Amino acid sequence: MFVDDETRPAFSWVPPDIQVIFDRIRSGLSKFSIEGKIGLFGLSLFILMALFAPVIAGHPPDAITGDSLESPGAGHILGTDELGMDIWAQICYGARMSLLIGLAVATVSGFGGGAIGILAAYRGGLADQVLLRVIDVTMALPSLPLLIVISAFMGPSVINVIAILILFSWARPARIARAQTLSVKTHAYIIAARNYGAGSWYLLRRHIFPEVLPILLVLVIGITSHAIVAEAGLAFLGLGDPTSKSWGMMLNYATSFRSIYFTPYWKWWLIPPLVALIALLLCLAFISRDLERVLDPKLRARRNTE
Amino acid sequence: MRDNRAIITRFLLTLMILLTINFFLPRMMPGDPFSLESSDVEGEDVVVMTEAQRAYYMEYYGLDRPLHEQFIIYLKNLAMGDLGKSISNKMPVSGVILIHLPWTILIVFAATIISTIAGVLLGTFSAWNRKRGIDRFMMAGLIAFAEIPSFLLGIILLLIFVVQLRLFPIAGAITPFANYTGVLDWMGDIAHHAFLPVLTLSLSQLTGVYLLTRNTLITVTTKDYIRTARAKGLGERVVWTRHALRNALLPVVTRTGFMIGALMGGSVLVETVFSYPGLGMTLRSAVIARDYPLIQGILLVIAVSILVCNLTVDLIYRRLDPRVVAQGG
Repeated sequence: MFVDDETRPAFSWVPPDIQVIFDRIRSGLSKFSIEGKIGLFGLSLFILMALFAPVIAGHPPDAITGDSLESPGAGHILGTDELGMDIWAQICYGARMSLLIGLAVATVSGFGGGAIGILAAYRGGLADQVLLRVIDVTMALPSLPLLIVISAFMGPSVINVIAILILFSWARPARIARAQTLSVKTHAYIIAARNYGAGSWYLLRRHIFPEVLPILLVLVIGITSHAIVAEAGLAFLGLGDPTSKSWGMMLNYATSFRSIYFTPYWKWWLIPPLVALIALLLCLAFISRDLERVLDPKLRARRNTE
Repeated sequence: MRDNRAIITRFLLTLMILLTINFFLPRMMPGDPFSLESSDVEGEDVVVMTEAQRAYYMEYYGLDRPLHEQFIIYLKNLAMGDLGKSISNKMPVSGVILIHLPWTILIVFAATIISTIAGVLLGTFSAWNRKRGIDRFMMAGLIAFAEIPSFLLGIILLLIFVVQLRLFPIAGAITPFANYTGVLDWMGDIAHHAFLPVLTLSLSQLTGVYLLTRNTLITVTTKDYIRTARAKGLGERVVWTRHALRNALLPVVTRTGFMIGALMGGSVLVETVFSYPGLGMTLRSAVIARDYPLIQGILLVIAVSILVCNLTVDLIYRRLDPRVVAQGG
């Protein structure tokens, strides 16, 4: 698990403390199970799909390029929706939206929350006590109903959705990073390092952050899928950004279409976003489970006793 | 009982924040209730009444008073069950909520009971066969299954059972204008309509109960008193049902409380999928109609019931299992 000297030169351009992390991830990846590899493969497909959406879509997602509700065929691989827009193009651009929201929320709340937790635990004192209260209350707030109401009032825009989701997601990583830091802080090697004259910044960067990072990574993936589900759910309720093309908006438009269930349209209008969402969530879940197992076996035990 | 006090303090603090959010959200919006936004240009409010009329109404509704006074009035009204008037329904919000709440309670409670029983049975079966193929298969399957969000699962079930097999009605909670031959007929109709929403909600919580039962049972069966029970010659079945399962059920029972909270939240989306006329469905129509008082009222009811469920669980758990007090910290 620790630094493997042979792998070092490959990452010689990064500082050594970041390299420890890189090496861990690399050695971890080779231990992934079949499911985890499927998950990684699937996620890379989705990322490619999002990156190259304009190339592979074939049609713009928000322009009328065909007749209303064309069934899948040569011109439109997955057919068209009510307005004559290409479904496959919407799926490709929807991947952008889901991944963007998921990653934005997860990185900001995961690493931001994590940093807050680490600093509070490291400093201790009043700030830590206050933070603990705030975390407690934030986690006790029922997130879904509040999400719905706040987005109803703030108006649907991608930025609002991301901001609200961050507001409800940072507490868990903060709490776990705090707990992890508290336990690491008392280890003899940290005290030894401090007695040798290590500064706070050095200790945080070199010793504490690498110890907290594995669990943060697992949490970040969890938050990613949570944010993707939340965005899809809000959009499904009609609270998504109407100008954006997301899978949740597609579900919303399709299910709002009168008598969609009595016509064959659902087969190419409703199924694609449904399958795309579930596939992405499963990939993330597979990766998260393997990452959790590989990065640190102790994490698993801790999570299960929670 | 310092811990009990801490739990109640947290509950009150959370409740207060909830009420504050609920109070300030509409007041943070641009404009006021007496100007009409009839233009597409933002910030261009069209006043439909004279300044004098407007001032009169501002005073009549207490909107000209300082915010803290308004807040106190708001709390007073809440305490008396007054949630304001629903714009789209032309009746008090509390009335609208009372009409729809029973349906949500029905499906949430049914789903709680079903997923608890099914989860315990499956978990016991899995623990009994642990490390065998069937246990691993069930665990992997159910964990992957839990990743599907409940409303997507609902759409899938709807497509299979309603659209393809035509086994269940597509919307509603009862058949409109039906002539029932008796109480049984009426209950049957309600069950028929509630079946898919309840199934969806139950499946969404199944994995949690299953894993909890399985893991607790596996831990419990390594305990000394189980060995004692075996040593005094009790059959394996008796050891499991009387000794192991009984102790393993404690966390499951307390989990039920949390589950009710989670299901109340989840029902918002699931009811929308099945057009089931509970609170969640009403919330969606309120969102579409921009009926803000109704949105706020429903939020409050759902959020407060979640908070109360969690509070109850926290308090009861300490009663049932004194070890928690020692562990928590």
